[in-house]
Order: sequence, then structure tokens, then C-alpha cells
Amino acid sequence: MLRNTRRETLVALVLIAPFLAIYGLTFVYPTVAMVNLSFTDAPLIGPGQWVGFDNYTRLAGERRFDTAFWNTAYFVALSVIPGTFVAMVIALGVSRLTGRMQALVLALFFLPYILPVSVVYRLWDWTLNFQFGIAMYVFDIWGIERVPIFKTTTWFMPAVAFVTIWWTCGFSILLFLAGLRAIPAEIYEAASLDNTGRWTMFRRITWPLLWPVTALVTTIQLILQLKIFDQVYLFSTGGRPNDNLVLVYYIFQRAFVNNQGGRAAAIAVVLFLIVVIVSVLNFQLMRLAERRK
Amino acid sequence: MAEIILDKVSKSFGSVRVINEVSLTIQSGEFVVFLGPSGSGKSTLLRMIAGLETIDDGRLLIGGKESQTLPPGQRNVAMVFQNYALYPHMTVRDNMAFGLRNIKMAAPEVERRVQDAARMLEMDALLDRRPSELSGGQRQRVAIGRAIVKEPAAFLFDEPLSNLDAALRVRTRVELAELHQRMNSTMIYVTHDQTEAMTMSDRIVILNDCRIEQIGTPMEVYTRPASRFVAGFIGSPSMNFLKGSYKDGAMTLLDGSRIAARVAVPEADTYELGIRPEAVKVCEGEGDTKGQVKVVEHLGERTLVHVHLSDGSAIVAQDGGRSQVQPGDEVALRFDISELHLFDSSGKAWHAE
Repeated sequence: MLRNTRRETLVALVLIAPFLAIYGLTFVYPTVAMVNLSFTDAPLIGPGQWVGFDNYTRLAGERRFDTAFWNTAYFVALSVIPGTFVAMVIALGVSRLTGRMQALVLALFFLPYILPVSVVYRLWDWTLNFQFGIAMYVFDIWGIERVPIFKTTTWFMPAVAFVTIWWTCGFSILLFLAGLRAIPAEIYEAASLDNTGRWTMFRRITWPLLWPVTALVTTIQLILQLKIFDQVYLFSTGGRPNDNLVLVYYIFQRAFVNNQGGRAAAIAVVLFLIVVIVSVLNFQLMRLAERRK
Repeated sequence: MAEIILDKVSKSFGSVRVINEVSLTIQSGEFVVFLGPSGSGKSTLLRMIAGLETIDDGRLLIGGKESQTLPPGQRNVAMVFQNYALYPHMTVRDNMAFGLRNIKMAAPEVERRVQDAARMLEMDALLDRRPSELSGGQRQRVAIGRAIVKEPAAFLFDEPLSNLDAALRVRTRVELAELHQRMNSTMIYVTHDQTEAMTMSDRIVILNDCRIEQIGTPMEVYTRPASRFVAGFIGSPSMNFLKGSYKDGAMTLLDGSRIAARVAVPEADTYELGIRPEAVKVCEGEGDTKGQVKVVEHLGERTLVHVHLSDGSAIVAQDGGRSQVQPGDEVALRFDISELHLFDSSGKAWHAE
């Protein structure tokens, strides 16, 4: 069949035009505008004076930025690797079940993932609230002293990380399950003929073959958890938001509490760069590790 | 090297019986092929010997040792899978050494065995490659190498050639036969390809419908098939079957022709006459029967002639390589009555004396 390439290009352009328009309007333009904004002293609404790199240099010595940065790093450390580990363990367990039982158990593990964050907050507030949380009654029965979990700096981040893992690991479990299903049964049969014990089977067969999925899951988790905001915002209401500050929360404070659009934009750009560098670095490092194995 | 004895082994998947009281003795050093159509249970039987499927009933002895309840690793057998089942993340060397390291064999001995196997299979240069960097034939060699290094009591092959292209399949077939002669070890080989079965085996076990139809040397099952199923399954082109009735030393076919048959069948009855195409010759003058040629296939050294008899039944006859027969011709056919078989309604075979 003869093809009119010019005409096909035209049709293609017409077809992708709506997407391009929306993408440009809601992503490209705001991103460029934000980077621009970060070099000005603009308030939340309206223009500002060009101040060069001032907004960035000021971040270096700022106590709140420091807290937000390290809290975010701490939260990522507490949630990404343990979350990946928990999801893998659960996926290994679920993969041993079959048929409807597997579907049921998988659904139970996936259920939290579909809940909105406000519901997650309510659920865990009911559970861990200092005054009326059911966990506290259990503490009373065992004679353990009640702990104001979301009001103490020591417990706040670990507790939020725990809730986040509970909330989001359903999706990682799905990815790991897909990875496990992709390993041919014949390989396990060959390994069983090779006198492979249970632990060796995991360490030398399952774990290396799951490595690409593990790289994917940790990268997705990294990107997601670096942008933590909702949980911290909700759980620190009535608590000590300044001690529990994370980067997105700090952007929110600068922009909507202090009315400093320019300075908020500068933090946002920094976070954007952190996310890009960390996730790309992580993915490449894991691929490198795979090749060296 | 070891003798393998199956004693009334059975296996069910749920309520479906897939292996029904199969008994079989495989001699030490013997090359046995399990041959059968798909769904005949041949792969299941092999996997039961390997320990990958449980044995519900009966006993399995490998080298005199009761093995039906042992885990696969302790049965001292090695298996080559249809899709090779190589460990994709390990080098060729590690693929072969994995099983040996698992039983804590000393490193120098592992290395010696891997080197020996690599030399035998001519893949010394491939030892540091990953399976993804190998061709299908090379992967096949690695899979065989992984079996060899274990120095097992028996080798089990599960349709190992079915993923290779035709030319490579023929070459690998010869190599496997050579390997068997050199190692002189017990080998069980599952296939649905009768050429593989005929060319490589000492004995063929023909399975159909969850049970053994016949056990015999390749020529035994070819010349004296025990049942109509075996007669039809072995041989290409397959045996001709013609319905008719037997009485007083002769078969009367449906087209009225009488064929002398010296067969010791117990009583006069309707039978099916079986005769291979090479025992039916196109001839000059009066033959045993005649018919009209429908298709002529020139194969070079011989010619296959598809003929319809006057009652409509089809038969394949053989003629010389330079046959002048044309479609539409009326031809006379002569049967070599020393190669006749009769089959009763239950499929049991009687052979010409």
C-alpha cells in the first residue's frame, strides 16, 4: 500500500495535540514558572524582584531547612528499605498460597492501599491516640506506661514510617508477586534436583532473580517517600510540626503560612533535584550490582 | 549407573488417574525411550522417577534403593529439561557447579568435573558466559553438562531436542547416542518423536492412555506391534488398515479381494488387516487387489502411491523411485503376506507367521 507520509504526520500531530497542550499547560509551564519564581522574592500571589541565588544561599544556614532535610532523610531510611523488605516477605508468603485463598489474602494485604490518607490517619489515631487509642488499653493491661506516640519526637517518625509501610506496601507486594510468577517453575525443579535447601534456594535462586523487581520497587518507594507530606501534616496536628518538619511540609509553610512564594519555590527546586539524583543513582547502582553478581 | 525398577506405580491428579499400575525394569546402562502421544503420561512417569511428582502407589527402586519417598536431590538422578531450565543469573561454570557446591564437594573436585564435562561437550570457551549469551544448541549442551558433572545413577531427558531446529536436532541426536556409548550410563528419554525413539534407544516403552502398550527394541515394536495403537503410531507413513473378515486362512476385504493370511487367530470373525506401505507394491498384471491412484508422492529413492480401492477405502502403496504411475491410473497391488498383521476389535494384534 502506498502511504502518504506527510498526511500521516499531520494526523499524528492532530492526535497528540490535546495531550501536548495539557502537558504543556499543567506540567511544563508551571515547572518553568516555578524555577523562575525561585530566583525572585515574590509572595505567594503576584510578581517579585529578581534576587538571583539568594533564596538558595539562604537555605544553607537555615535551621528549619536543616530539620526538614534530615527528617526527610530519616523517614526515607525508615520506610523505603524496611517497606521493600516487608513487601518481599509478604509476597513470598502469598505466592505459596493458591487459587481463591491467594486472591483473598492478597486482597486483604492490598486493602489499605486503596484507602485515602485521611482514613488512614483516623484509623491509626484511634489505635495509637494517647488518651483513647485501643493500643494504649493493651499497654495498660500489660502494665506498660502509655506513650504519646505522635507527640514525642523519638516516636513520631518511626510511627509514621510504620503507618506508611502498612498503607503502601500492597502495591509493592503486587510487583513482587508478578516478579515471582515470572520465575519459571522448571528452574525450581532443576534446583531441587541439584540438592538445593530452602535457604540456598532463596539466596541463590529467588533473590537474584527478583533483583530487577527489587530495584524497581525501591526506586518507586524512594520517589514516593521523598515527597512525604500528608501523613506528617495530619499526625502532627496538635503536636510539634516544627520538630517533625519534612521538605514538602516546609515548602507548604513557606508558601502558605509565611506567604513567601519565591523561597518556597527554591526549596521545591532543591527537592526536585534530590528526587531526580537519588532515584537515578539508586536505579543505576542496583543495576550495576546485578551485573557484578 | 544403576538399574531402575518401577513396581506398580500409580499417580492421580485429583480424581483423574494419569499413571495406572505401571511396572517396568530398566537395565543398568540401558537407553530407554518413553514414547507416546501428548497426554499419554510419559512426562509424568519421568517426573515421578525424578521426584518432581509424587508417587501415590507402588515402589520405585533406583540402584536397588527404595526411592519413592526420597526428595529429588537424593535420588541420584540428573534431568535435562525441555526448556533447559538453566539458572539465568549464573555463568555456565556456576550452572554446572551449583549442584556440586550444594553437597559441599571440595572445590578442586568441582573444578575438575566441570572442566571434564566442558571438554567432553566442547564448550571450554563458554564457561564464563551467561545463558542469555548462548545459542539454543549451546544452552542444550550446558543443560547436559550440568547433568554429567553430577555423575548420576541415571540421566533423565524430558523432550530435550524439541526446541532445536531440524538440522541441529539430528546432530544432537547423534551426539546423545555417542554420549551414551561413552558414559555407558542408564538413560531415560521422553519424546513424542518416533524417529528419535527408533534411532537412539535400546528399548522403547510405548505409552498410551496412562499405561504401557508395549516394551521392546525398536525393530520389535516396528515389525511386531502388540496392538493396533502401536502399529499405527510407529512408522511413517503409517501402517495401512483395511477392514475385512477372516475365514480359513484368508482375509476377505470390503472390495471383495481375498488375501491369503497365515495368522493364528483364534476364530473366524471380522478383523482389521494391517500392512505397512513398503509391503504393498504396485505390480504388473493381476495383483491381490486393485484401485485408482489419487496422489503420487516422489521421495527420490521410492515413490508413495495413494490408492483408493473400489469400496472407497484408502491405502498407501510403495513403488520404485522412477515410478511412471500417474494420478487417475488403475493399478494392481501385491501384498507381501509375510508382513501382515490382523487386529481384533479390542486392538490386539496377531502377526503373519
